[in-house]
Amino acid sequence: MSRCIWLLLLLALGGCSESPQQAGFAGLAGVADPESDVPFLQPGAGDRLSFPGDFGPHPQHRIEWWYLTANLRTADGEPVGLQWTQFRQAITPRPANAEPPEANTWPLEAAWMAHAAVSFDTRHYFAEKLARGDVGHAGARAEPLAVWLDEWQLESASEDDSWRLQVSTDGWSYDLSLSINRAPVAHGDDGFSAKSADGEGSMYFSLVDLQIEGTVTLGDETLEVSGQGWFDREWSSQFLKSGQQGWDWFALHLDSGDKLMAFRLREDNGDFRAGTWIPDKGEPVALRPDQLRLRPTKPDAQGFPRQWRLEVPDYGVNLEVSAPPGDYLNSGLYPYWESPVSVSGSHGGVGYMELTGYGE
Amino acid sequence: MTLLAALFSHYRRHPLQLLALATMIVLATMLWSGVHHLTSQARASLDQSESAVAERQQVERKDGERVTVADFVELRRQGLCVMPWLEVSSPEGGRVVGVDPLAAGCFESPDSEETPWRGELEGRPFVDISEAADLAREQTGQLSLLMSDAHSARDLPSAYRLAPFRVGPDTGELGDSFLLNLDALGVLVLLITALLVRSVYLLGMAQRRDSFALLHRFGVSRARINRLLVFEIMLLALVCILPGIWLGRWLANGLGTGFGRALEGLFDQPLYAGQDGGWLMPLATMLAVVLVACLADFLRPLARRLPGDGQRYGVLLALILMGGIAMSVWVSTLIWLFVAVAVVFVAAGTLAPMLISRLADWRAGSDKDPLSRWRHRELSVLARRLALPLVALQFAMAMVLAVQALVTTFESTFDRWLAQRLEADFYIEVPQSVDLTPAMDWLSEQPELAASGLWHRVVRGRATLPGESNEAGTKVDVFALGPIGPLVTGWQLFESTARPWQSLQQGHGVMVNEQLARRQGVTTGQSLTVELGSQELELPVLGIYPDYGRPAGEILLNVSVLPPDFIPSFQSLSISPGDLTIETVTRRLKEIWRVEELTVRDNRAIEDLASAIFDQTFLLTRAMTTLTLILAAIALLMMGWVFFSTRAWYFRLLVVWGLSRRQASGQLIRLSVSLTSAIALLALPMGIWLTWVLVHRINPLAFGWSLPMAIYPGFWFELGVLSLLIGLSIALLMSRQLRSPASVPGNANALAGGER
Repeated sequence: MSRCIWLLLLLALGGCSESPQQAGFAGLAGVADPESDVPFLQPGAGDRLSFPGDFGPHPQHRIEWWYLTANLRTADGEPVGLQWTQFRQAITPRPANAEPPEANTWPLEAAWMAHAAVSFDTRHYFAEKLARGDVGHAGARAEPLAVWLDEWQLESASEDDSWRLQVSTDGWSYDLSLSINRAPVAHGDDGFSAKSADGEGSMYFSLVDLQIEGTVTLGDETLEVSGQGWFDREWSSQFLKSGQQGWDWFALHLDSGDKLMAFRLREDNGDFRAGTWIPDKGEPVALRPDQLRLRPTKPDAQGFPRQWRLEVPDYGVNLEVSAPPGDYLNSGLYPYWESPVSVSGSHGGVGYMELTGYGE
Repeated sequence: MTLLAALFSHYRRHPLQLLALATMIVLATMLWSGVHHLTSQARASLDQSESAVAERQQVERKDGERVTVADFVELRRQGLCVMPWLEVSSPEGGRVVGVDPLAAGCFESPDSEETPWRGELEGRPFVDISEAADLAREQTGQLSLLMSDAHSARDLPSAYRLAPFRVGPDTGELGDSFLLNLDALGVLVLLITALLVRSVYLLGMAQRRDSFALLHRFGVSRARINRLLVFEIMLLALVCILPGIWLGRWLANGLGTGFGRALEGLFDQPLYAGQDGGWLMPLATMLAVVLVACLADFLRPLARRLPGDGQRYGVLLALILMGGIAMSVWVSTLIWLFVAVAVVFVAAGTLAPMLISRLADWRAGSDKDPLSRWRHRELSVLARRLALPLVALQFAMAMVLAVQALVTTFESTFDRWLAQRLEADFYIEVPQSVDLTPAMDWLSEQPELAASGLWHRVVRGRATLPGESNEAGTKVDVFALGPIGPLVTGWQLFESTARPWQSLQQGHGVMVNEQLARRQGVTTGQSLTVELGSQELELPVLGIYPDYGRPAGEILLNVSVLPPDFIPSFQSLSISPGDLTIETVTRRLKEIWRVEELTVRDNRAIEDLASAIFDQTFLLTRAMTTLTLILAAIALLMMGWVFFSTRAWYFRLLVVWGLSRRQASGQLIRLSVSLTSAIALLALPMGIWLTWVLVHRINPLAFGWSLPMAIYPGFWFELGVLSLLIGLSIALLMSRQLRSPASVPGNANALAGGER
């Protein structure tokens, strides 16, 4: 039942007149047409990031998320992949400085969705939660940072640049502390990340160097874990261009200390690629489509390619990226693939891969 | 075509028969379909409420405050799967329920797609809670928080507790029983109508037997005649049933408001207009009834059932009668009670004409006077020939007697009870959140009040009788009084310990209402555990008091027993000011409480209002029974008259044999009056027994409370007068026939009434 409502909500806003295919993955290519006088804001070239405000919600944008992926290891050295995401979908846009509606009116201006996943030993655990916005049990705040939905929460710990993430669900949970070791990295043109040649896109920045420690409990076993993480913050009102089916996204921590973010948007005729090269020392560099080559090497029976070749010749990067054995499909309202990956080739390393819009 | 004309010509010759048949079918259809429409509407309302929500648990605050969105947020942040349910009364009547589908997402489990609600509620889909919240700004809304079954009471934080959540009224099967009662009355009406229609039809058939024989001689096969007869009765039925159904709707609408208010007052269940029910079902039912009544002889061979045959039939029937009566004493469910009533009715109905004719024969045997012997033999014949309408009249009389007794008993009991409850002259509503202590102090200090006035304070709220360890407890209403004074000590109690009011005044006990006593099996002297506010108290039960009009359980205790954290939903003062005027009291109270307006009600006005509502409740049953009696009386009248006409020749013989016309008329009068009186006499014990069943068996099962059994000889007198009138009318009509010459009935066939 809730699936239907969620789908209806999103499709209604995503442009019912368009076919599901044209509306793209999760309807994100649909055109937003609010009935209120307040329009949705659409990021464009020239928009800039501002901190700490941009860590908080953007009620005048249609869709945004707070996205953590982590490559961890247990005390025995076994790899553990971990994900936490909280999405905000605005049903009615509201200027950032406007007063939110009263909770006792049970407003329907925004809907929140949270995902949590753990990938360990070829097993994949996934949970999804939904909540109405502006009631109080789900929300986000920039300063001090807090993003929560029911009992799942990411919040700023007492020390600066340190966060705490707690998630618990039926049968498994995790409790992590994250320390931020690098200033936020703006992607694209100072934060405006185009997603197509026509200029649709989003505001996008990441915290690429997170040191993580904590515990992951799966059923009866409790694992002490530590490792590195990547935190994405992205918001937009027109995410995909009409006709784009989905995307493939990679965030890699290379052994050399450099980081690489790359994504590819699949369209009917060709694809749109972009990325960011973040050297260990130095400023991040936005990669143009012609500087980046990205393609799957081995298709999967399910339709999700598990092996990829990623090349950034300008920086001597020629990588084979592959997901470990296992099924890493996040089967929520909008299924997508999210898995840890291992990197080999010119550099070694770990990372995370997200594949959306395949099959349906 | 000429064949049809020939058949139908019977009605041209006897238009009154056609009129009688038509009237009976129309009236019966109107009555039955009207009642059926109302009860099916009410049933649909109850069913929809029940099925719309699978039984769930809800979270409540222990301190008695209503839950708010802040509680929802707090529970969700603790990881509990709760969802809001906001109920608002809609401006068009009925209610709107707003739910949050996003919050309900956690109710889905991998194995079932079951959401906390199914389909629609009262013909309207559930709405998003933001819509309901919009409505709640003008109307009152009620928020509940439903919790998934995955959690139990242990998972709740300490400030909250679990309670059952039901959309329908908390009345168990009582609403159903009430409707079943009404439906049973409807079926009884159908039965009586069927008997009446059958008797008139059979009479017609008997009269037409000669015409059939004639037609047969002319070459029309029997099968064809039968087919045409079926066609004829179907045509008649259709023509009469449709207006009957329309009239029934009109009747239902007329009585609907009263019925709806009764339903709401009795069971907290408003009557939703909902579906229209359709006319196909009543049409089909009435058609079936009429067809079966008239054409039953086609279904089984035409065996001549002369009731006088065989002693064993009589004994068998008497045994069945005894069995039925025994059953009514011992069974404990409503359905079996109705079965027992049906058995008794059938047995008594078959026995009655048998009894009359046997007795008459026996009297005739020992009669010296030839006239009285003739009269008794004639009575015996009449009882056999007119068996069906006589039995119908007997049923109708018994029903009227019983229902009249029920209604009158109820009225007087209710009046008395209401007078006790509203003993004080005035009722003052205490505004929310004021401190009552200064007001009570002032009231206690007034010398005029102490001398000639009476007052007490009433606190109303909710409490729980805790259930077993894991079950949610039973909700009860709390009715707390203080001080316990003469305003209540005069109440009549069903059961009580010694000096219950003193114990109550000292706070050493609690009283329960009849409904609670019945449902929980509570008796005086037993100890009752009650959860009031946050405390759990154990108190002995001091007495059981009557509480008519609603099936909810209630406990009565002294205000001093209430714990300080008990949140009352309502407080009021009942006061008879005595020498102090009510204006003085209200003025002073307004000063003390610093309010501009105080709601003060005159209890006399409330009494009138309550009585009016209960009158409406029984208007329906009264209307039904009266109409049925009229129906039966008219049928007997008509039947008797028609039958007498066929025997006019014999009665003419009386004149021929030497009686003057006036004397012959006198004989006829004695004959018909004795017949009707005999049947009235037989209806009497049946009526009394039915009264007892209604009052002592059906009523408690259907309503939850019982009534005292009372006999009203006044009604018997009325019925006697009625039967007298019917008999006289028949005789008078007959006497007019004596003037005109009559022909010898040519056919000595028994069915033509040709007994000599």
